[in-house]
Amino acid sequence: MKLTKLLPWIVGVVALFAALFAAMPQGKVNGFDINGFAKLPILEGGRVKPLDSVARNSLLLIRGKQSVRFEGKTISADQWALDLMFRPEVADRQPVFRIDDPDVLGLIGMKQTSNAYFTFETLAPHIDELEKQAKVAQPIDAKKRTRFQSAVVNLFERVYMYFRLKNTLQLAGTPGLAVQMQAVAAPQAGEMHSALTQLAMFRILPPLAGQKADAWQSVGEDLQAGATGRPLHPGLAPLARIAAAYGVQDATAFNNSVAEFQGIVTSLKPEAMSHANNEITFNRAQPFYLGMVIYVLALLTIFVSWLWKQELLQPTAFALLLVGAIVHTSGLAFRIILQGRPPVTNLYSSAVFVGWGAVVLGIVLERLYKKGFGTAVAAAAGFGSLIVAQHLAEGDTMEMMRAVLDSNFWLATHVVTITIGYSGTFLAGAIAIAYTLWKHIAPDPDPETGKALVGMAYGIICFSLLFSFVGTVLGGIWADQSWGRFWGWDPKENGALFIVLWNAIILHARWSGMARDRGIMTMAIFGNVITSLSWFGVNMLGVGLHSYGFMDSAFYALSTFIGTQLLLMGLCMMPRRFQFTKPSAKA
Amino acid sequence: MTNKYLLKAWNFISSFQLTIVSLALLMLLVLFCTLAQVPLGTYGAVNMYMRSFLVWWGPEGSTWIIPVFPGGSLVGLILTLNLLASTFKRLQLTWAKAGLWLVHIGLILLVSAEFVSAALQVDDRMAIEQGQTVNYVENSRSMELAIVDVTDPKSDEVFAVPATLLAKSSTVALPGSPITLNVKHFFPNAELTNRGPMDPPSLATMGVGASVKIEERAVSSNENDLNNTSVFIEPVAAGRSYGVWLASIALGAPQSFTHEGHTYAISIRPTRHYLPYALTLKKFSHDKYPGTDIPKNFSSLVQISNPSKGEARDVLIYMNQPLRYEGRTFYQASFGKGDTLSILQVVENPGWLLPYISCVLVTIGLLVHFAIMLRRSLKRRQEKVS
Repeated sequence: MKLTKLLPWIVGVVALFAALFAAMPQGKVNGFDINGFAKLPILEGGRVKPLDSVARNSLLLIRGKQSVRFEGKTISADQWALDLMFRPEVADRQPVFRIDDPDVLGLIGMKQTSNAYFTFETLAPHIDELEKQAKVAQPIDAKKRTRFQSAVVNLFERVYMYFRLKNTLQLAGTPGLAVQMQAVAAPQAGEMHSALTQLAMFRILPPLAGQKADAWQSVGEDLQAGATGRPLHPGLAPLARIAAAYGVQDATAFNNSVAEFQGIVTSLKPEAMSHANNEITFNRAQPFYLGMVIYVLALLTIFVSWLWKQELLQPTAFALLLVGAIVHTSGLAFRIILQGRPPVTNLYSSAVFVGWGAVVLGIVLERLYKKGFGTAVAAAAGFGSLIVAQHLAEGDTMEMMRAVLDSNFWLATHVVTITIGYSGTFLAGAIAIAYTLWKHIAPDPDPETGKALVGMAYGIICFSLLFSFVGTVLGGIWADQSWGRFWGWDPKENGALFIVLWNAIILHARWSGMARDRGIMTMAIFGNVITSLSWFGVNMLGVGLHSYGFMDSAFYALSTFIGTQLLLMGLCMMPRRFQFTKPSAKA
Repeated sequence: MTNKYLLKAWNFISSFQLTIVSLALLMLLVLFCTLAQVPLGTYGAVNMYMRSFLVWWGPEGSTWIIPVFPGGSLVGLILTLNLLASTFKRLQLTWAKAGLWLVHIGLILLVSAEFVSAALQVDDRMAIEQGQTVNYVENSRSMELAIVDVTDPKSDEVFAVPATLLAKSSTVALPGSPITLNVKHFFPNAELTNRGPMDPPSLATMGVGASVKIEERAVSSNENDLNNTSVFIEPVAAGRSYGVWLASIALGAPQSFTHEGHTYAISIRPTRHYLPYALTLKKFSHDKYPGTDIPKNFSSLVQISNPSKGEARDVLIYMNQPLRYEGRTFYQASFGKGDTLSILQVVENPGWLLPYISCVLVTIGLLVHFAIMLRRSLKRRQEKVS
């Protein structure tokens, strides 16, 4: 077999194996069965999840990353959570608080240096001042706070989260859970129990036989019940041993107690144990992060292919795109199964799904036209939307659905259709951008390629008009079903209508001959602006029945994106090589 | 000569250019309407931009206004005419164009549905406390002055005067009662405060109004703001005046006077529409996910009792599951008073079925049309290859 045929296969298989490898559980760290502890199911945010999810999301919110560098080693989120809960004196010396705001740094007596990460020890003497400043800023509406006020509230909330996690299983600075269990009925214990109950970030003790299915309890709650004479939860004793063993770094005792606790959970709630096990695999695999990396590789490969060895690298790039799509699709499927819901449930998952739709459409285009453009725009769209998704992920991305959204039927029809409409409009925009760049950069642009690109964009616009129209109307029907009116000019409804109208304008402009190739492509780029406005801009208004996806920080990102699109539109309108018209060398 | 102009007009009204310009105008209107919802609220913004023929503007503080932009109704009308004209002019009655025919008929239906709901849709609300029975819906955007004869403890007799009537008349007779009202001063919106010793005397001579200072305020169209509709009235019966009273939505307890053994309570309240049936709230439930404040479900268990039909049954109204009854839709909108008060939004829209028909037509139309185009394009590619 020739190398041309073989290389795409090799690269694809290697990428796929790399992806599978990432999902494998890590071995023991210094002899500790960290993974065994991290996969324990707990109840937090209204749903059962592994402890690992809480550790990752907390560290992500506090530090902006899912790991910490400490004493020359990388510490995983699970290890960090263990340290914080059972060896707080060690955790307090780990630099986990990211602080960028110079005024907030001044508040804790620090200067802005290249190191933006601080330990709890550094913050501790300034907590009172921090709390005072935060209490001033908190009553102010989030949109009206100054930069300092937002930063100080944000830091205070992170410190509080850290404090809660630290005091979830046992109170920091006390002799530990085992001692508390012995003195459960002591007169002064009540105060400690209620502190533990109030601060608890999650509930780790599964409901006993005969209790309601969601009656999970925190350590504090069980101790409070124990003080009234009820027997303590059977899981509490092994949990106390886990805490003690980790505190003195006794790996054998830790591993044995973890196994014992797992046994108790498995006997009480086997389905919670297996759900947590699945979710921790999903957390480890990070399919959307991995997909993003593979899409970048595909994009780079296709760029190189236009300069060098096209016949070899173009299929390789396509193979990478396919692997990226496989990883992306499995991630989506995994999420759907874990959550028991259709793919789009919040802003984060809509970004993941928009990217997925664009990638699938791009693959179809590449199969039809085989010019490499399909691969390029699909990889770019996949990469771009997964980056957006990464930035939208705030805490748990599988949070519970608010009452009005709690309808799998409408989530599966209206939300999915309208999101595919977004995908299509963005893909058409991406094709138009590719056309613009190609027109200006390609040394010898042949009219046939240009025609093919316009054809692709046109087809995709028809497709998006269909999906955004059907999606909008389905949304109207959902509104009629739940609110008694089909159309209420709500901002989100208007946003959807915006996309439909714009696609309709593009198509009519083409049919009437008012816009030719260049005009159509410029309008397709503007479709990106329209779609991003209706997707995110509406949430920034904060009015209407749909304003549950509110966000305050993405405003600048959105403005920048729109700015670049307007520039690209200008570029698209300009004649080729406007800046360096060389007299063509004629033979 | 006339023919030439007619032809020109026909060409204009059926042109693609007009389609594109109208669509673009509609897009701008949608954008303005969305942005205007921040200061004006949805209702105000929709009335200003969508349910109007012209968008009016005037400098702040002045009384004159000028039209600055075509309104949604005008653009919708032009678009409909354009759609009709171009459909007849350009579309041949052939199977190849079947998809486009369906799309355009569906769109005409969709636009007319919006006209129907703009004209006929009524949004009311019903607030019921647990255990209470309510046989009316209220419209919080329009107020009425209610003079209620409360003499008979079993049933009240209600004489209601719409606020719009109070605004333009100086005397209002209440048919069926001996009372005539002299309207002294009407405030569409006002601010009420306690009258200080230095303030000028109140117009009111009776009731709580005598100790209230009232100042006129601009009317807000934002549905989140309540307009404090207030009025000074003087009830006169059998030639006798019962003094000047201040009635206001901002005043809580109703005030009353007695004429010939009948006690009449005076109050301003949201306009009520009485229904031939009643709803009783048996239980309101508000569930949260364990350990969080995220609402999982809101539901109201109500009993409908309709004596004219001999109907008495329980219905559970919850999210995505409204009650449709006698042309009205009751859906769970809000709640209050520590989860004992349920607020139902009540919508009456006779044209509710039109969008359903329209969307089926357009969807089938688009599918048919794009399928035809795809087949043609694939055929062309095949010819090129062979």
